[in-house]
Amino acid sequence: MKLPESETTFQIPIGPQHPALAESENFTFTVDGETVVDVKARLGYVHRGIEKALENGTYIQNLYLIERICGICSHAHTLCYSQNIDEALGIEAPPRARFIRTIVAELGRVHSHYLWLGLAGHEIGFDTLFMYTWRDREVVMDLQELITGNRVNFALFTIGGVRRDITPYAIEQVRKGVKTLEERIQYYKKMCAKEVTLLKRTVGVGVLKPSQAINLCAVGPLLRASGVKRDIRKDDPHAAYDEVPFNVITYDGCDVASRLFVRVDEVVESLNIIRYALEHLPDGPIRVKVPRRVPTHETISRVEAPRGELFHYVKSNGTDKPERYKVRTPTLANIPSVCEMLKGGYVADIPITLASIDPCFCCTDRVAIVDAVKGKKRVWTWEQLSRYSEKWHGRR
Amino acid sequence: MSPAQENQVNIIEGLKERIGGGNVLETRIARVRRIFLTVKVEALKAAVNHLAAQGFKHITTISGIDLGDSIGVVYHLDREGLQLSVKVVVPENNPVLPTITDIIPGAVLYEREVHDLLGVVFEGHPDLSRLVLPEKWPDGLYPLRKKHSVEDIKRMVNEVA
Repeated sequence: MKLPESETTFQIPIGPQHPALAESENFTFTVDGETVVDVKARLGYVHRGIEKALENGTYIQNLYLIERICGICSHAHTLCYSQNIDEALGIEAPPRARFIRTIVAELGRVHSHYLWLGLAGHEIGFDTLFMYTWRDREVVMDLQELITGNRVNFALFTIGGVRRDITPYAIEQVRKGVKTLEERIQYYKKMCAKEVTLLKRTVGVGVLKPSQAINLCAVGPLLRASGVKRDIRKDDPHAAYDEVPFNVITYDGCDVASRLFVRVDEVVESLNIIRYALEHLPDGPIRVKVPRRVPTHETISRVEAPRGELFHYVKSNGTDKPERYKVRTPTLANIPSVCEMLKGGYVADIPITLASIDPCFCCTDRVAIVDAVKGKKRVWTWEQLSRYSEKWHGRR
Repeated sequence: MSPAQENQVNIIEGLKERIGGGNVLETRIARVRRIFLTVKVEALKAAVNHLAAQGFKHITTISGIDLGDSIGVVYHLDREGLQLSVKVVVPENNPVLPTITDIIPGAVLYEREVHDLLGVVFEGHPDLSRLVLPEKWPDGLYPLRKKHSVEDIKRMVNEVA
């Protein structure tokens, strides 16, 4: 006898999570045994009303608020914002500033991808990878601090250029650091291609077909790991990306493994971009003087952030404050896709599949498992779910 | 005219031909890879349908803007880096638009977001429940509407809390 679906499936809500993190989410999973059959997302647990706040701040004040949207890719937001206001003002940052913007944006991508690689390792119980990559990531963090004075919120990019020049000493140090990072990433690349534990947990997991990725408007490494060659740096060039040669990395495995390979290869590309940009760094001023008021205009700026297409839109009205400022972060764009990817997968693969879009909520710390039929409720922490996942895979 | 500009003009002319020139209220080629259009509400579905068939299958996001007595809703479509923004204007007291999620499934969260923050209703949307605002948020308070100042919002939210 076949039971009706409502009696054979259970609902598992996961999240909301740690308020200290950007973009926390709540997912409600409907499961049939070990298989996920449906996923619903509920966002907004740390909605801070930044778009409303931006309407009440001046363009200069907003620069600092924008930087605080994300704690990992803060540089992507200031880059996008600066370029957007540059365009609304009808000015262009000097060539040297555009190169410095490119160098720092790529350092940011390297640190973000290294961070992700460690977290991905952690989610599948491979903590050695986490320790190694996070140690190496310190090299980038130190370089960022050397160039900008800060490790996280750089306060470097500004309307009309950058606020600090890059010194010859910093250039020398970045060259050295890039060499170390390159050796390390080549090692990880070799390791990832052969390491059985890693491949067993990632190949064929969280599949997103190219047609689904396009229909659901996925962005960034997720889209490129489904074989779709789209990168804002190439498609809608900004900063100095139209003057720097680089490859857009794609893989066609459409699974978590491909997302891993894409990010590892992208680090190699980023390091090449940094090296090229340092060699071809133009002389000249780093910033142009800009007026405080922005004439009535409507402009769009896009940046390929580490997680994909980042979008800013401004409607200015002639005053020193924007009429409307809209931000769309890449994680939001990838939520419909991750919901699709989870369907048909195992409960034990939820952590790594969620992590594979590199969302800003990797450390979700509360998981509630609800038996929808009997109304019973068990609360799990994210750690417990991770441990369950490792044990479950250990038994297979 | 460069090939890129010619391409942009062709996109606009093709759309006008398809949905009727009278339905396209405003066109602006801001620069390379940037087109801004305003169309009539009645022609929105036809416009998005036509553009999606022309390759504008990626929606970057949907922006809602309070324009005083009306609300502007801008659909930011993309084709290989070319951003085409289609704007429609709906009255503030009756902000209703047809959903485009049947044409572009990726628009599902963006419509919910505009519904949450500006109160625009997307008819035919599969699930217009709260996306970013908390459960206890007062009904009918749309934070991105200009008539609500930050102080007003704080007061109204505290009243229900």
